[in-house]
Amino acid sequence: MAHVHEITIWTRGVVKDKEGRDVANGLARAADREGKFTQAFDNYVDLPDRVNVPLRKYARISDADIEMKYDYENEKPEVVVVVDATIVKGINVLRGVERGGLLVVNTNRAPKEILKFIPNGSTLKAIACVDANGIAGSSTVDFSGTEGGVDAVGLGSGIAAPLLGAVARTTGLVKLGSLAAVVKSTSALQQGYESVVIESLS
Amino acid sequence: MFDIPQERAVPFGCVTPAPVGEQPMMITGNWREYRPVIDHEKCNLCMNCVIFCPDACWQLDDAEEQVVWNAKYCKGCLVCVNECSHDALGKAYELDFPDGVVRLEKPF
Amino acid sequence: MAKEMTLSGCAATAQAVKLAKVDVICSYPIRPYTAAMMELAKMVAEGELDAEFIHGEGEHAQLSVVYGASAAGARTFTGSSGVGVTYAMEVYSPISGARLPVQMMIADRALDPPGDFGSEHTDAMSCRDQGWLMGWAESPQEAFDNHLINYRIGEDRRVMLPQFVCQDGYFVSHIPGKVLVPDQGQVDEFLPPYDPGSHVLDPKKPMSHGPQIRPDQGTIMDLQRAQAFLDLPAVVKEAIDDFNRIFKRSYAPFVEEFMTDGAEIVFFIMGGHAATARHAVRHLREQGVKAGMVKLRFVRPFPTREVGEVLSRFKAVGVVETSTSYGGSMRGGNLLPEVRAALYALPRRPLTTSFMAGLGGDVVSLKDFYWMAGILAGAVQAGKVGKTVYWTGLERA
Repeated sequence: MAHVHEITIWTRGVVKDKEGRDVANGLARAADREGKFTQAFDNYVDLPDRVNVPLRKYARISDADIEMKYDYENEKPEVVVVVDATIVKGINVLRGVERGGLLVVNTNRAPKEILKFIPNGSTLKAIACVDANGIAGSSTVDFSGTEGGVDAVGLGSGIAAPLLGAVARTTGLVKLGSLAAVVKSTSALQQGYESVVIESLS
Repeated sequence: MFDIPQERAVPFGCVTPAPVGEQPMMITGNWREYRPVIDHEKCNLCMNCVIFCPDACWQLDDAEEQVVWNAKYCKGCLVCVNECSHDALGKAYELDFPDGVVRLEKPF
Repeated sequence: MAKEMTLSGCAATAQAVKLAKVDVICSYPIRPYTAAMMELAKMVAEGELDAEFIHGEGEHAQLSVVYGASAAGARTFTGSSGVGVTYAMEVYSPISGARLPVQMMIADRALDPPGDFGSEHTDAMSCRDQGWLMGWAESPQEAFDNHLINYRIGEDRRVMLPQFVCQDGYFVSHIPGKVLVPDQGQVDEFLPPYDPGSHVLDPKKPMSHGPQIRPDQGTIMDLQRAQAFLDLPAVVKEAIDDFNRIFKRSYAPFVEEFMTDGAEIVFFIMGGHAATARHAVRHLREQGVKAGMVKLRFVRPFPTREVGEVLSRFKAVGVVETSTSYGGSMRGGNLLPEVRAALYALPRRPLTTSFMAGLGGDVVSLKDFYWMAGILAGAVQAGKVGKTVYWTGLERA
């Protein structure tokens, strides 16, 4: 069975739910274009109808058919994306991440400010900070893609676009060009790619 | 006949004691991006924050004659800031505070 | 031209229902099937689908509404999950007895207590005696296809029966997969418009539905439906042949065999976990284990002859049960008693046992299938099964 890259996205209910989904769907759709096998879905038990509740979205990318399609969670994420920075205080975002993982955070603060709240942060290969709020200006709030529905408003009009750019630059898991073909705001995507601050830790 | 792992066990008839006072299995302090901050000088103990908080996170401490904030459960809805009658409450970004860290393993 | 979309099971269902040009939809929210109704509501609102979209006041109301609409000659669609399916129980028999081809999507969900959203087949299986067709889809593609196939079979004049079109909650209903969505022309070729015949409600020709009968007529009433189920398999085969021809698929009508050539032990399974079972069988074969999989596509009508013929070729059959039948003859799930009944009169019978797996939405892993294969191989060696029911993952080692 080929290796499955697991990307876990932490976001907040209602106000940033769509943005979290856009990150997961953006990565999967971009990887699809590169001929990969992918999955993108919400965590089933996190109940996103509650404003601000911490939630998980998942993306999985592999070179071969993903055999365990139904695992409810990403047990060993390689990449963790935090859509709202305050989540690092409230959740052990590195749970299940083995040594050498990558963390991408939406914040205008410096990496070491964020690392203060992550006691096991030294196991990371790198932490990346991108000011997605500053670049995109606003978050999209939309429920058409929840619960297995089809997204009716398209992907990447808000803060997900610069976050995706940052993920592409930090992880190399998908090409920027593939992402540009699936997001609406390619300028925000590009800005995220260029302005992300990556700090190596090991 | 069966080996039931502890973390998968379910109580008889799926009936469990109800929480009294607080529910430690549903800590919500990690829902907030902003927290309310109080200036006790301006506070006149009108009790609006105590009454309006949906999660009872402001309580009156009789001895200290102050209202006390619950960091463990406050969701940062900021209704108290909105309802304060004397401008004693304001909001502040959660990452500016090293305290009040909840850090759960899972959302609940 | 068919186009490929990435859709969850719920979204695939909505696409199929749209292409079937349904007339009346009745909704009521319950996780995990709700997204299908959300998608259909969007389509109706955007003018993509010309249908009456009614929000029922509960699942019982949902079924009652589509009962009336179907009786008036409309092609209808409704759906539910878990306790919603059992809440509507009263209405299933009237619809089937009135010979109205209502279609209900069931994204299955464990029954209460408590509120477990996870998949389990028990909700739909509890209704399997109500006189409806019933079958499970393994993937969003199969869910899409099954909706069209069931309308065609159910509305056939030789059948005129309602259908439960089921899919595993969350595993199939929420996790997206690739779906080839055909164009309207192909669907119209496969699915003719609904023609209810003479028993439609029409003010110009007043009809009474369900008047009182005497007890001595009761058996005759039931016999009518029993005979429809005898005529059913031929219609199913015709419909599947046509479907395969028009949409370029290769569905077996009743049981699908996977790597069964020279197999000695097989998993007998239905629903979403069959997708994982396929990978498990491939890996077992790579290890030299002569394993195979037989997937059941229709549990009603239960394909007695096909199941008997196919399973009697193997040495041991492990029935994967994702439903419960408390106090039933095997003290396990619902499928093993039916499989054993299908095999009873045959000269050559395999050893049969069952594995409770996936209940409550539990994931059935590749390792679980390898464990099951070990039990089956052990049974072949011993010449008999140890138990008739194994609770996967919980058996004392």
